[in-house]
Amino acid sequence: MKTNIGVFFGGRSTEHEISVISANQAINAINRDKYDVTPIYITKEGRWFTGNALLDLKNYRDIPALLRQCEEVYMRPVYGDYNLYYTNPKGVFKNKSLDCRLDIVIPVLHGANGEDGTFEGILDSIGIPYAGCDTLASANGMDKITMKMILRENDIPVVDYVWFTDRQWFADRDRLIAKTESSLGYPVIVKPANLGSSIGIGCARNREELIEKVEDATRYASRIIVEHMVEQLQEINCSVLGDCDEYETSVLEEPIKSTDILSYTDKYMGGTKGTKGMQASAKKIPADLPADMTAEIQRLAGETFRVLSCHGVSRVDVIVDRATSKIYVNEINTIPGSLSFYLWEATGVSFDKLMDRLAGLAIKRNTRRGQKTFSFSQNIFALGGGAKNGMKGKA
Amino acid sequence: MTYVSLDLIIPVILAATASFDLLKVFGRDLMMLQQNSYRNERYTRWFSNSGESTSIGRIACCIGLLFLLVHHIPLFAGAAIATIITIWQSVRLSRVKYKKPLVWTARAKRIYAVMIALAVIAATVFGACFGIKILCVTLMLQLVVSPIVLLAANDLLKPVEKAINKKYYNEAASILASMPDLKIVGITGSYGKTSTKHYLNRILQEHFSTMMTPGSFNTTMGVIRTVREHLQPYNEVFIVEMGAKQPGDIKEICDLVHPSIGIITAVGEQHLESFKTIENVQRTKFELADSLPADGTIVINNDFPFVANREVINAGCIRYAVSNKGGEDFSATDIEYGPDGTRFTVTGKSLATPLEFSTKLVGECNVSNLLAAIIVALKLGVPADKIRYAVGQIEQVEHRLNLKRTPGGITIIDDAFNSNPQGSKMALEVLAMMKQGKRIVITPGMIELGNLQEKANEEFGKNIARCTDVAIIVGHYNRDAILKGVASEGMSPDNIHTADSFNEAQQLLQHIARPGDTVLYENDLPDTFK
Repeated sequence: MKTNIGVFFGGRSTEHEISVISANQAINAINRDKYDVTPIYITKEGRWFTGNALLDLKNYRDIPALLRQCEEVYMRPVYGDYNLYYTNPKGVFKNKSLDCRLDIVIPVLHGANGEDGTFEGILDSIGIPYAGCDTLASANGMDKITMKMILRENDIPVVDYVWFTDRQWFADRDRLIAKTESSLGYPVIVKPANLGSSIGIGCARNREELIEKVEDATRYASRIIVEHMVEQLQEINCSVLGDCDEYETSVLEEPIKSTDILSYTDKYMGGTKGTKGMQASAKKIPADLPADMTAEIQRLAGETFRVLSCHGVSRVDVIVDRATSKIYVNEINTIPGSLSFYLWEATGVSFDKLMDRLAGLAIKRNTRRGQKTFSFSQNIFALGGGAKNGMKGKA
Repeated sequence: MTYVSLDLIIPVILAATASFDLLKVFGRDLMMLQQNSYRNERYTRWFSNSGESTSIGRIACCIGLLFLLVHHIPLFAGAAIATIITIWQSVRLSRVKYKKPLVWTARAKRIYAVMIALAVIAATVFGACFGIKILCVTLMLQLVVSPIVLLAANDLLKPVEKAINKKYYNEAASILASMPDLKIVGITGSYGKTSTKHYLNRILQEHFSTMMTPGSFNTTMGVIRTVREHLQPYNEVFIVEMGAKQPGDIKEICDLVHPSIGIITAVGEQHLESFKTIENVQRTKFELADSLPADGTIVINNDFPFVANREVINAGCIRYAVSNKGGEDFSATDIEYGPDGTRFTVTGKSLATPLEFSTKLVGECNVSNLLAAIIVALKLGVPADKIRYAVGQIEQVEHRLNLKRTPGGITIIDDAFNSNPQGSKMALEVLAMMKQGKRIVITPGMIELGNLQEKANEEFGKNIARCTDVAIIVGHYNRDAILKGVASEGMSPDNIHTADSFNEAQQLLQHIARPGDTVLYENDLPDTFK
């Protein structure tokens, strides 16, 4: 009897294709002696499909054809029901259940609707063990504003920032501009609060640019964050694996960028034909830093992971101000591209071991959760019949 | 114009109402069979002891039957009376609320279907051959002797059940065979099995992915069900509680699961009706030890004389005790009880230093059970600090010496599960320690003690007098024995109350209990006992 891991990928986000690549890498890495794998693809419309055709990247060039080779499925959001069901059962007997029951889920979804807690919420409702941040950590990690608020509260260094909503901007623009200029000065970076992959991000060096970048950002999100921009910056990433009781940090990487900030093009189109995900973009592993700085960044990454109650594998991106050598935590990716496997391989954890650890973490969390709901209070006085069923404690 | 006689209409109506009544009666009988584990001998024993044979419903149906049969009475009149009787009984049976109603398992449905089939066949055949009157007589007769239909159906289905069980057994066996690395721990004993199982599970969870047989699944079928429906491929330890109603039961479970570690928590005087002697109890419990491989380990409670006097040579043996009489490998010492729980120290031959623990549980039995669990956890390699953490986290198991406070300021000690002489004595001792308000006990006494039934309940009564301020004795089964005991210790009759049912006892309690009081619920009985 092998443990059946359901890997969900795709999704309704701007990072749909990256997720497909990450998932394919992850699925290939899972040790088939110990596990079975069921791939479940979420289309851009939000429908779920499963089938072996999903395992070949070439098939994704023609999605409708791919889906015709697959079965559309769903899961019931009912606690304890880990089965996959046919959306359109065929045949006379209309057998709804696929005879496929997932034991563990590893979501490899990036961006909105996958990394922000919405998908994790379904899994929590079902109660199935899964790897990765839960609803709370996902939501906080995804939103740059809440993430910074929490880190600041825990004395983890972040750059200064101002935040507002798109409606606030249009209603109160001048006050917000004044607030931004007085508390942050220029240059600043404008970002949508809850998207990944550098979409809608712009740098502003003066008021005109600020207005322009904010209005661009509001095309993508309602919550906007404006951050002080570190001019001579060095970006360093560190991955963290585990849960908030026990975690370890990876070696550091320094992504090499083509413009001021790492753009979408850099991240995903760098190097070869774009099918290699995060691995393909140029990067320096391990990053070339003095030992004490490496240790400090790793410590901050771990703290960030712990404070946000993360789980599974995350990647913390920090900024080093070359001028002052100060380190700031920039953001966390709770489902990092390619699951940061390349960082872990460099740290000495092979990809199949990484997947195995994720599976173990999923089970451990469920065991812990099970302990918390163990005893139910029973008001004996409220019942008419005294204590409940006896006679079951046979010798 | 066709003349339809009353001699036809009324019996037809009777056939309908009697059939409906039969459905209800069959359901009730089936419920009692289910509570006797579908064993015909148990059911028969219960039936003869319970006064069911002369129950009011049965007598009424008998009367109805007679009215039908007596020649002098016109058919329509006799049938009318019988109709009224069957309607009355149907209504009565619809109103009754059973403490433990029938669970419609697949097996229950099968038996019910066969019972109905038998009834229909009998009625149809006799009716076709001899007419409407005999059809009614057949139905009325079945109402009177419904247990016979029940037992016949059960017997007829035996080969079917056997085949189904065999299929499930084989499936479970093959699932277990596909998980060779799964460590299997068996737990048995006259008392303390379920508690020890819970404690062991909680401790092992710190280090392993575990599965335990849930709740009351301590029979072979229960274990099979757990394996087929709950066991996960990633589980590392499987804890199997093993219960026995007769010798051979535990061996049967061991032959299926092949445990490598076992715990025997007690060999005592429980279920003496089936076991007859304590030697039989010992032999049955030690079936677990006998089934272990040479590199297996049996962990046994040396506080019980019938454990201490039993040699184990086929596997490793670790003896534990709380009373420290000597001969044990592990013991719990320096036991201190406080308002939030208990502290104790574990010393052992293989332990470099003694280990200290603290727990929310109370009672010496619980320290003993924890000790057994700790020993197994150490054997399986769980680090001591994780064991300590888990022990501190363990919550009291429901209905087993479980302490609660109601919003009304009353402390409840819920010890409702199958009581035994030792357990009830300990529960009373815990009650005695509550000094703030009145100490009240609600109990029906203890059952399934065979020859010792009366004596044990009398002793129970004596302890009640010593440890409590108010006693409410529920039901009739043990009433006289307990009353004898309390009276002999001089408890004031004002403080001794009796109630026919738990509901009545509850209502009585509302009048007596005040904030600050403590109420002990000692043992609870199913509907098979009144």
